[in-house]
Amino acid sequence: MTELLQTIILGLLVGGVYALLAAGLTLIFGVMNVINVAHGAFLILAAFVTWTLWDATGLDPLASVLVTTPLMFGFGWLLYNATIRPIRKAPPSSSVLLTFSLALVIEGVLGLVWGNTSHAVRTSYFDQSFAFGDIFLPKAQVYGCVLAVGVLLALWAFLTKTWTGRAIRASAVNPQGAELVGVNVAAVAAMTFAVGVAVCGAGGSIVSVLYPFLPGSHYVWISRLLGIIVLGGMGSLPGAVVGALLIGVGETMTTTYVGPEWATAVPYVVIFAVLLMRPQGLLGARLREDVAL
Amino acid sequence: MTLLTLDGVIAGYGGGDVLQGVDLDLQPGAIACIVGPNGAGKSTVLRAVSGLLRPREGRIRLEGADITGRHPAEILGLGVAQVPQSNGLFPNISVRENVLMGGYIRRRDKALLRRRYGEIAEMFAVVRERADEKAGNLSGGQRRMVEVARSLMLDPKLVLLDEPSLGLDPKALKQVFGTIKTLIDAGKTVLLVEQNVRFGLRLATDGIVMESGRVLLTGKADDVLNNPEMAALYFGGSVQEQRRGTVPTPSPKQSPATAGG
Amino acid sequence: MSTASSSAATAPSETPPPAASRRRLPLGGWGLLPAAGGVILVAFPFASDDLFWQNMLILSMLFAIGAVGLNIISGWGGYISLGQSAFVGVGAYTVALGALKIGGNPFVWVPVAGVVAGLLALLMGLIAMRTRGHSFVILTIGFLFLLQLIAINWDELTNGTQGLSLPIPMWDIAYQYWPFYYAMLGVLCLSLVTAWRIRRTKFGTGLIAMREDEDKASTVGVNTPVYKMLGFVASGVFLGMAGGVYAYYLAFIDPRGMFDIVISVQIILCMLLGGRGTLWGPVLGAFLVEPLNELANQQMGGGNSRLLIFGGLMALVVLFLPKGILPTLKERLTARRQRGQAGLVGARLDGPLVIGERTAPAETTVAPGEALLEVKGLMKHFGGVKAVDGASFVVPQGSITALIGPNGSGKTTAFNLIDGTMTPSGGEVWFDGRRIDDLPPYRRAHLGLARTFQITRLFREMTVVENVVAPLRSFSWGQLNTSAMRGDEAARAEELLTFVGMERFRDQKAAELSYGQQKLVELAQVLMLDPKLILLDEPAGGINPTLVARMGEMIRTLQRQGTTFLIVEHNMPFVLGLCDPVLVLARGACICEGTPGEVQKDERVLDAYLGDDFVLERSAEVAR
Repeated sequence: MTELLQTIILGLLVGGVYALLAAGLTLIFGVMNVINVAHGAFLILAAFVTWTLWDATGLDPLASVLVTTPLMFGFGWLLYNATIRPIRKAPPSSSVLLTFSLALVIEGVLGLVWGNTSHAVRTSYFDQSFAFGDIFLPKAQVYGCVLAVGVLLALWAFLTKTWTGRAIRASAVNPQGAELVGVNVAAVAAMTFAVGVAVCGAGGSIVSVLYPFLPGSHYVWISRLLGIIVLGGMGSLPGAVVGALLIGVGETMTTTYVGPEWATAVPYVVIFAVLLMRPQGLLGARLREDVAL
Repeated sequence: MTLLTLDGVIAGYGGGDVLQGVDLDLQPGAIACIVGPNGAGKSTVLRAVSGLLRPREGRIRLEGADITGRHPAEILGLGVAQVPQSNGLFPNISVRENVLMGGYIRRRDKALLRRRYGEIAEMFAVVRERADEKAGNLSGGQRRMVEVARSLMLDPKLVLLDEPSLGLDPKALKQVFGTIKTLIDAGKTVLLVEQNVRFGLRLATDGIVMESGRVLLTGKADDVLNNPEMAALYFGGSVQEQRRGTVPTPSPKQSPATAGG
Repeated sequence: MSTASSSAATAPSETPPPAASRRRLPLGGWGLLPAAGGVILVAFPFASDDLFWQNMLILSMLFAIGAVGLNIISGWGGYISLGQSAFVGVGAYTVALGALKIGGNPFVWVPVAGVVAGLLALLMGLIAMRTRGHSFVILTIGFLFLLQLIAINWDELTNGTQGLSLPIPMWDIAYQYWPFYYAMLGVLCLSLVTAWRIRRTKFGTGLIAMREDEDKASTVGVNTPVYKMLGFVASGVFLGMAGGVYAYYLAFIDPRGMFDIVISVQIILCMLLGGRGTLWGPVLGAFLVEPLNELANQQMGGGNSRLLIFGGLMALVVLFLPKGILPTLKERLTARRQRGQAGLVGARLDGPLVIGERTAPAETTVAPGEALLEVKGLMKHFGGVKAVDGASFVVPQGSITALIGPNGSGKTTAFNLIDGTMTPSGGEVWFDGRRIDDLPPYRRAHLGLARTFQITRLFREMTVVENVVAPLRSFSWGQLNTSAMRGDEAARAEELLTFVGMERFRDQKAAELSYGQQKLVELAQVLMLDPKLILLDEPAGGINPTLVARMGEMIRTLQRQGTTFLIVEHNMPFVLGLCDPVLVLARGACICEGTPGEVQKDERVLDAYLGDDFVLERSAEVAR
């Protein structure tokens, strides 16, 4: 029983961090209808930057969120204007291929700069756990989840309390209506992308202390994130959170009761099951047929 | 001075020109309703005025200033608000935020928006009572009313209403009718497009009849409404003349008179 | 005066290839290049011992096979897949496992690899039936990674990450790589022949129609599910075989190497760079991309620079050269040649209408005057909106029936429910004595039900005559292999085009026509189905009065020859002069039907159009 409880709690903790990463991805999709396949590469990039900061200055990776978030924001903004804005009107395949090529380029750069070996940030608390009776929760996971939730709350506040956030949410659901009240939908798209990447950067810093990573790790991560947003409903922020928690728990349960090597299969199975049976996911909007009357 | 003038406006969407030379004058305080059969170009006139569609030829003037082809945000700033045909709200956002979004271009002036929101909440019960509900959960009629409320956030001079009765059942129609009356009582100039002729012309002071991209006739709303040719207009020419087996060619139209205040 | 007798003059002696390579440059010129390339490929191992080059050519051929296959479902079919390397992996493992566990020469297992890959592709095709666009691409990614994971974890079968070593080749070392080389070349030839054949047959045009507008293709009788699945199978079979050869060539395979998404990306790059939708583009792309691959591996430090180069190259192609090399070249060259021919598109349609003899549509089971189409209690709800709410009406055989009603009354939705584009929430649709509301659109087209769209839908990249030939009156497996445009079909198409007055535009791309011209072509297109019933969605909308009159004449002529019409229109003079009976739709239900005269005078109808009378609470008069 304690094993089950521990598995579930751990899954939720892991899911919290996943939620932060998936939030950025689903936000970008919701506003721009672009699947950013490079999202995994962005997070690994942030992880490497965090590692370097830690390696050079001893800065705790969770604290370096303050550095990586604005850095990745700027990076996302530049990248959007240079590469993605030109193809906004192109069919979905173009954006997938383009972001995929960005991912490859980033992977190559990471390999050249940091090498293709496994890295991990080993802080002082890396091996320690909190003990609650018979349940052991790794400190890093707990801190990471708490921080992730904090950033998510900040994102939520941004989206609900600021005018830019409102403009983003409005454009996501009704770009024409947004245009009519004077929103510059194109500028909003750029901002959304940058915010999505920034949030991903924060998540990447957290990941650096939770899991070992190398440049090629982005495939596993993007598969996982895609599974999450598909499950939760592409474009839905609450869906991303729910999906992340479910997949987090799904992975830990699979690790405990089936075997760790099959944990990575969970997102793929989810993708198939959801897209074939309920394409809009748990909380996504059902794609309406043409309402021409 | 005349509030809005359209002068020989020709506009289309690439497939062909929907507006084939529209002339129209609107005096301050007037409520003008454009009616006409489908394909006449009624909604297109509104889109040209609000900046969503750039006319190929012709001029549109607001209080004398040329606004032809300007960006919607600019025209909004000059005091023209449009309530689109359907689907203008953001369903996942609360009613309050939807209304506030109407003031987006003046968002830095928080005091102004707060004041305007308060005034609007007083005018519209649905805004007052359902402020925190998601707009998507409201009924069709209520949504339409919120849209109208939103259009008033920046205290526009001219409000454009695109088929406000579309898709509404009789009960909602009554509600929306009342809402538009509120607009009128607040002294706004309104240009509305309606395919529900009775609904539109009962609200209006002036009627404008369009067909095939031109203004066919104008006059006082009551006169236009009671004109026996309205039915004929919708069913094309007089019945007796049509024999089966021939397709009648449309008869040439008279040049329109301009609407007066 | 019949124009059909000119079939001898108009039918080309050989079937022309579809639009994808329509701007054909003379064979003497460009056709020599692939021929020369082929000769070089065949002769190369005789001429040179250089293993480096042999290796590069073998790998180039592998990519070429992948790209040619991908082009079938992607360049022609319109489905982008990131999972193509799944076929490489599956083929590789089939050959390896077959040779190791059961025995025999690995080459013997290569055809089996093809079959297994084909089955996998069939699975992918089945999945594609339920998803499109973004969802489909995500699925292909998941597909590939899942297979990789299975290969890693199922060690009893695949030996996991430790991989499998294939039997050592038994031939004389003097032959070097020849068997691999020629095996790969053989598979490449097979795949090229197949692709070439597909392009020249109805299968190919059906795929292109699907790419341009899948739902429209279905309404003109293209059996899209079967075409889709077969397209996937064609894209996977040869790549599976190539994967098998590749495995033997490498002598050692492992899951990460065989199910590598970067290979999928490279295959896509080959196709995009060379030119999607062409026959030779993918091959050209492969022979450009693979040497680059080698260069990156050998000269520039391998792995990471390879990623930089390919990522960067793909980004550049997507951003700046989306059509690829060959189509862009063709465009530049044909633009130069056609500079003097401008103006044809803008030509007005004038002169008398030539109405040729036409064969009547197939016999209906229903006598004239009885119900050809019957709609009973039809319903369609979208969330809270009841677009169609218990509509019931009848279209008599041999009539021109009008369906009128104010905006929002549900007319277009009703059309969508009748032709199968949408599924009803309730109610029944009966056509020619049988119930059709559970049939897909192409089955209804085969039964003789055709439909035009309010905003015309033609296959934009095809020419006018190809558009008219595209509809299919039936489906059979043999049909897939028949020529894309037979002589008699071309003649029939020209006859129809002459009927609508568009015969001069026969070779114009549909995308270049004006709105009115597209309407005429769409009418000719659906006439190709010899339909018993044609649903016309606003045929008189958006066109000048002369053309409106002509439309009316055409409809009447067709009616005299036995075609029934159901027309949605707002142009009242047009409708009232042409149609009987007239059905009136309001708020999703049919409120009235009768002759034009009866309908015009009906109070309910007037109310529906002019607005229901309702009681107002008149507030204080607003002084103006």
